Amino acid sequence: MTDDQPRRVFAPDFLTELFRNPLDPGYAEAAARKAVEGDPTGPRKWARSGLAAITLVGLGFLFVVAYQQTVADEPARTKARAALIEQVQSRRDLTDQLQQQADKLGDDVAGLRERELGGATVARLRDLEAATGLAPVKGDGARVRIGDGPTPINPVTGERNTAARVKDTDLQLATNALWSLGAEAITINGQRLTATSTIRQAGEAVLVDFQPVTTPYEVVAIGPDDLAKDFDDGYAGRFFKELVAKYGMSFDASGVHDVTLPAATELKLRVAEPSPSPSTSLSASSSPSEGGR
Amino acid sequence: MIAVIALVAGIALGIVFHPTVPLALQPYLPIAVVAALDAVFGGVRAKLDGIFDDKQFVISFIANTLLAALIVYLGDQLGVGGQLSTGVVVVLGVRIFGNVAAIRRHLFRA
Repeated sequence: MTDDQPRRVFAPDFLTELFRNPLDPGYAEAAARKAVEGDPTGPRKWARSGLAAITLVGLGFLFVVAYQQTVADEPARTKARAALIEQVQSRRDLTDQLQQQADKLGDDVAGLRERELGGATVARLRDLEAATGLAPVKGDGARVRIGDGPTPINPVTGERNTAARVKDTDLQLATNALWSLGAEAITINGQRLTATSTIRQAGEAVLVDFQPVTTPYEVVAIGPDDLAKDFDDGYAGRFFKELVAKYGMSFDASGVHDVTLPAATELKLRVAEPSPSPSTSLSASSSPSEGGR
Repeated sequence: MIAVIALVAGIALGIVFHPTVPLALQPYLPIAVVAALDAVFGGVRAKLDGIFDDKQFVISFIANTLLAALIVYLGDQLGVGGQLSTGVVVVLGVRIFGNVAAIRRHLFRA
């Protein structure tokens, strides 16, 4: 730094200074020095130019590396996603395949059973399967529709008022009422209930046998002809009508004709004992129910 | 002219060699790029002002990059890496902006 130039004072307001004079003050100083001493000549000049050129090479290199790094980072994320999606897809296909295989084997077993056992035994077995939820059943019965009421958002707190949501206990009450009125088979949104089915709440979702079901809930039951009327008039009907009046939930019970209820997707055999009579080799006694019934 | 050729040569080298950045150095890459951009625009502006100086350019680039990296490193160690990076980016960003504005005035007289 030369003496004739005013000494550079760093103002306390560094940012203002930065905005006012963004160029590195070194350039001005170097220019002033040059004005006094003259341009460097000969090898020194060349060395400096070479150094600057090398720095610029490094700069270009740096830019490219940074660019490539940024570009490489992005696909890494999408790649992971795509791989996950692919995995899900392949597993799903595998599940479908296995399900088909299981269905085929199930048919084989049924055919063999029919051949080996007599007609009467098979009929008895079928009745048992239908009653336990292992086989699809067809018949007349009742359809109960229960839907969530309005869930307004509080404008002040932003919280959703979920009082009018259908709870697991509501569905439990409906199914229990149907069972007690003589229903032989029940589904909730197509999920067949068995002796060990569960209807539970997990957060805001209702799980039937660990499968989420959503509003509107359609409980279909096969049973006596006046099942719907009995349900509507019984304690369950009164309960739901009160919910309708109080919370604006929707409720409707009507008779249905000739509906087919699917078999339960999964029935875990927990306890099995050999039947006292040797001719019927299959008898399952389920452990106490966990809910729903 | 030499500067542009050198810059293009560096880009070509980067494309040819396609280096992978070690994981430990990756947090410093964006800061290094911002410091490099600051040096480049400062140099261009100085050139247009007619006061470009090779030595000043080289030293300011290396020093700024190292200082920025050091600040980020210190911030990481202290647990305020993000905030200090922001500080570095703000300061360098302001300088880049000011210098580009000056370059614009030089080129377009506006």
